Amino acid sequence: MVDELLFFMEVLVGGLLAGTMYSLVALGFVLIFKASATFNFSQGAMVFFSVLAFCGFMQDFNIPFVLAFIMAALLMVVVGLCTERFVLRPLMNASEDTVLMATIGLGYVLEGLAQAAWGVEVRRLDLGIGDFPVPWIADNLKLFISALDITAGLVAAIMIIGLFLLFKYTKIGLGLRAVADDAGAASSIGIPLKHIMLLVWSAAGVVALVAGCMWGARAGVQFALVDLALKALPVLIIGGFSSIPGAIIGGLIIGAVEKVLEVYIGPFFGGAIEGWAPYVLAIFFLLYRPEGLFGEKIIRRV
Amino acid sequence: MSSSTNILDIKNIEVMYDNVILALHDVSLKVPKGKVVALLGANGAGKSTTLKAVSTMLASERGKVTKGSINYDGTSIDKQNPSQMVGLGMVQVLEGRRCFGHLTVEENIISGAYSRKLSKGDINQELEKIYTYFIRLKERRKSQAAFTSGGEQQMIAVARAMMAKPKMLLLDEPTMGLAPQLVAEIFNIVKELNQKEGVSILLAEQNTNVALKNSDYGYIIETGRVMLDGTAQSLLSNDQVKELYLGISKKGRKNFRDVLKEESLTKKKIN
Repeated sequence: MVDELLFFMEVLVGGLLAGTMYSLVALGFVLIFKASATFNFSQGAMVFFSVLAFCGFMQDFNIPFVLAFIMAALLMVVVGLCTERFVLRPLMNASEDTVLMATIGLGYVLEGLAQAAWGVEVRRLDLGIGDFPVPWIADNLKLFISALDITAGLVAAIMIIGLFLLFKYTKIGLGLRAVADDAGAASSIGIPLKHIMLLVWSAAGVVALVAGCMWGARAGVQFALVDLALKALPVLIIGGFSSIPGAIIGGLIIGAVEKVLEVYIGPFFGGAIEGWAPYVLAIFFLLYRPEGLFGEKIIRRV
Repeated sequence: MSSSTNILDIKNIEVMYDNVILALHDVSLKVPKGKVVALLGANGAGKSTTLKAVSTMLASERGKVTKGSINYDGTSIDKQNPSQMVGLGMVQVLEGRRCFGHLTVEENIISGAYSRKLSKGDINQELEKIYTYFIRLKERRKSQAAFTSGGEQQMIAVARAMMAKPKMLLLDEPTMGLAPQLVAEIFNIVKELNQKEGVSILLAEQNTNVALKNSDYGYIIETGRVMLDGTAQSLLSNDQVKELYLGISKKGRKNFRDVLKEESLTKKKIN
């Protein structure tokens, strides 16, 4: 009995921590969705692009780890800058659908650029954190939990706190929230939309880099990272597209549910339900709570 | 009136949306420094379009000034964008209040100071000054703006605009959908801001009577043209204005076009 409970705990905690990896990817979507009400289809490509650049700097040019990370982050700011200038600004008055289509195109451009610059082979990314159980926890709590998962959890926690402080207590954060509520009114009182766009795309780029590092360390830096964006969709549907805490909680839920279902129900379906179980959950949310757990409700005064 | 005493001078502007829809045919108007000018007319007459042409917010609705000129405070506005206009001291309060619903009342007001480089202390000082005009908002400073009443939301919108320290305010239907008592309250505040802060005001209104009673000068526009203008006093006592805009109607005439038609018909008969 105790063994079974321990095993369940292990599955659950492992799932929750793996879920924070999804949360990290989902965070990038939320940032852009808040400011422009657009689902950024290029987020997956940004993850791939940023982490491949990071690896390229380190492995091809022998640039030290920290410096390479800073350079990759700066590169993502440049990507944000170019996106604002050459994609978003010309589409300033276009419909949200047009911007959505543009992000799909942007995704292809980033994927192509990344592979043209740094090649197509899978790269290994060593963060110095092993993807194996931490001995101390395994010995004392009898839980086998990966060090990488724990790191991802900590990184996600730091990022959410940082973003929360940025939005709640800084001037540009106030500007961002104002734009998220009513972009027209925000521009009428002199909040420059292009600064806000630049901020969110740069922030989403840096978040993509962090998510890419975590996933790259686990699965190798490869083209398949682009498809991570798809896993973020159920996370966002459950958590709410416009909520940062929602992205975190949504990721945790997806991570836990898919692992628990895989272990306990998977065998009845011949396994591998991890792949589709999150989407089934997402459909239920769409039917019964379309704004997600933490999505901003449309406030209507009566 | 020499041009230097006018903070705003609109000369014969024509405005088109999407390059095909002609919204303003020929509008000219002046706002003297420190005065309140009312822009009156029915729905679709072109009041909002005129205000947006001035604040340069037309571009975001695919509108364009295709003829004429707009001068604000001695400079032409055609190369400006909305945030630059705010920097020059011209702020528009959009129709329908447009508060940031998820922000608190106080955050809404503070967001108005975005374009100014103020320290935390300066902001608090400005905030206290604003609250002396909007006492009601101080009580509700921590509430989420979406849950405040319509009148309070209008006050938030005006208070937010005042935080940008404007020389000129453009108010688009500030009393829309408000109870008479609130209408009076809003206009009292507007008057006070005009007198104590020296803000020039151009306000678009359908509520002709109240608007004229609180203004110095008035323009009446219909289908994108200025039909009549004059001091607020003269418009209030004008028979046609009384008939068409103050609800003392007769003979089913509804606007100035009808009046002009009738006049030309009677002329023909006489001839």
